[in-house]
Amino acid sequence: MNRLVHSYSKFLSAVTLVLIIAGGLVTSTESGLSVPDWPLSYGQFFPPMVGGIRFEHTHRLIAGIVGILTFVLLGLLLKNEGRGWVKCLGAAAALAVVLQAILGGLTVIYLLPTPVSVAHACLGQTFFSLVVSLVLFTSKEWATAPKIASENSESLKRLLATTFFFVCLQLIAGSVVRHAHGRTLNLHALLAFLIAIHVLFILVRILRDADLQPLVNHVLLLTGLVTLQVFSGGGAYLLTLVIEKAAYPRTSEVLITTAHQSIGAVILATTLLLMLRSFRLLKPTELRTSHE
Amino acid sequence: MKNRQKLGVFFTAFTAFQVNVYAATVTGKIAFEGRAPAAETIKMDADASCKLAHPDGAKSEEAVVNSNGTLKNVFVYVKEGVSGKFDAPKESVKFDQHGCQYTPRVLGIQVGQPLEILNSDPTLHNVHSLATKTQQFNLGMPIQGMKLKKTFTAPEIMVKVKCEVHPWMAGYIGVLDHPFFSATGGDGSFSINNLPPGEYVVEAWHEKYGTQTQKVSVAADGDVKELSFQYKAA
Repeated sequence: MNRLVHSYSKFLSAVTLVLIIAGGLVTSTESGLSVPDWPLSYGQFFPPMVGGIRFEHTHRLIAGIVGILTFVLLGLLLKNEGRGWVKCLGAAAALAVVLQAILGGLTVIYLLPTPVSVAHACLGQTFFSLVVSLVLFTSKEWATAPKIASENSESLKRLLATTFFFVCLQLIAGSVVRHAHGRTLNLHALLAFLIAIHVLFILVRILRDADLQPLVNHVLLLTGLVTLQVFSGGGAYLLTLVIEKAAYPRTSEVLITTAHQSIGAVILATTLLLMLRSFRLLKPTELRTSHE
Repeated sequence: MKNRQKLGVFFTAFTAFQVNVYAATVTGKIAFEGRAPAAETIKMDADASCKLAHPDGAKSEEAVVNSNGTLKNVFVYVKEGVSGKFDAPKESVKFDQHGCQYTPRVLGIQVGQPLEILNSDPTLHNVHSLATKTQQFNLGMPIQGMKLKKTFTAPEIMVKVKCEVHPWMAGYIGVLDHPFFSATGGDGSFSINNLPPGEYVVEAWHEKYGTQTQKVSVAADGDVKELSFQYKAA
């Protein structure tokens, strides 16, 4: 474990979350095409920051910073990390950030084609999850924490893997709802229900098993986020698809849709971490017996 | 009389005959019944120059009821019944960005006719066409006084145009392959001129209140037919 790489991964995760929020604001304020050229903005590095340009250009600036920071992370991993697969994840993050920049440019040049916008939204959150997973892989817990024996370990792992699969599907469905004006809304609602039920099962299973104490805070965080997400989703639905549209997006609409999208990104990362931790930490009870 | 002069006389007579034949007019007003909707106040704080252009505050032009009880910004056009080919005029139709609003908000243009887009504002705009039958465009207009020209390649009712820098800005362009259209202004009236004799379906389009159609039959000899459309408060 390298403390510098670990701390740096945390820092990059935080900046990436800021970038996701900034990207959400671009979509919610419908500012995506306020700057019609790319990679420059009105042929400049710094156009006048008025109207929608404030959101779009800020998003581009933060994206540029995240791009640079990601390559620094890759450099740190190449220099300090001994595990080849972790270095590969760093390289994947660098590749993702380049691809994401290209997708961002394509959304501008081709005037927000839905498949490209959806791919841009999904890759952004996938990149965030990748960086967050590097925080875990470079942590002390990952390197040294002892295995926890639990009779629920295998069923919990299966439950977490299924939940993570649903959350991944939800990422795509949610992006389509957002970028295709409500299309796949029914699937989005169904997946929300399935995820909520699964998280509830995970919560009960972990709380009931004293051996799983190290995962309690994590699952409580996930439950809190999912609860928040259900309410923000309901609010987003009412404000964007039920109430009559105003001449331009209302502040309440902008805030709730951006929050819904950003909480979604955090849920994806939190579910992934919980799944990875369970696979790393948990082992079946019989193994404990054989060792003892 | 020399041949060239004979030709000139013939051409003049033919043109006069043609004008006479095409002299029918469909005119009327777009009445609005019920309480006029309260115009939404637009906050222009996001751009100081926009705010400066409206010291008393700006209102949404989505539904504007004139003082004479008529509706502004209704596009009226011949939807069915026109036959023949009509060359696109060479002169441009002007579409201005003034005070961070489109002027006019609703207009008509023929396929192939130049649309001259102006930026009269001391701020930048992007002009984004959301056409579905002509290739869309999104152009930056960062300089005051800047002009651009675009054309549409296919008829479309209506092409929405918006500015993402100033999200309250929306304009609508009716693109037709004939010249028989009109848009209502501050008196709510419209006039479609030089219609050939025949039977037509005339449609009125409004961005908030939708469409209405009426049938009309016009004769050749300077016939003037009056149509009355009536929209009701939602």
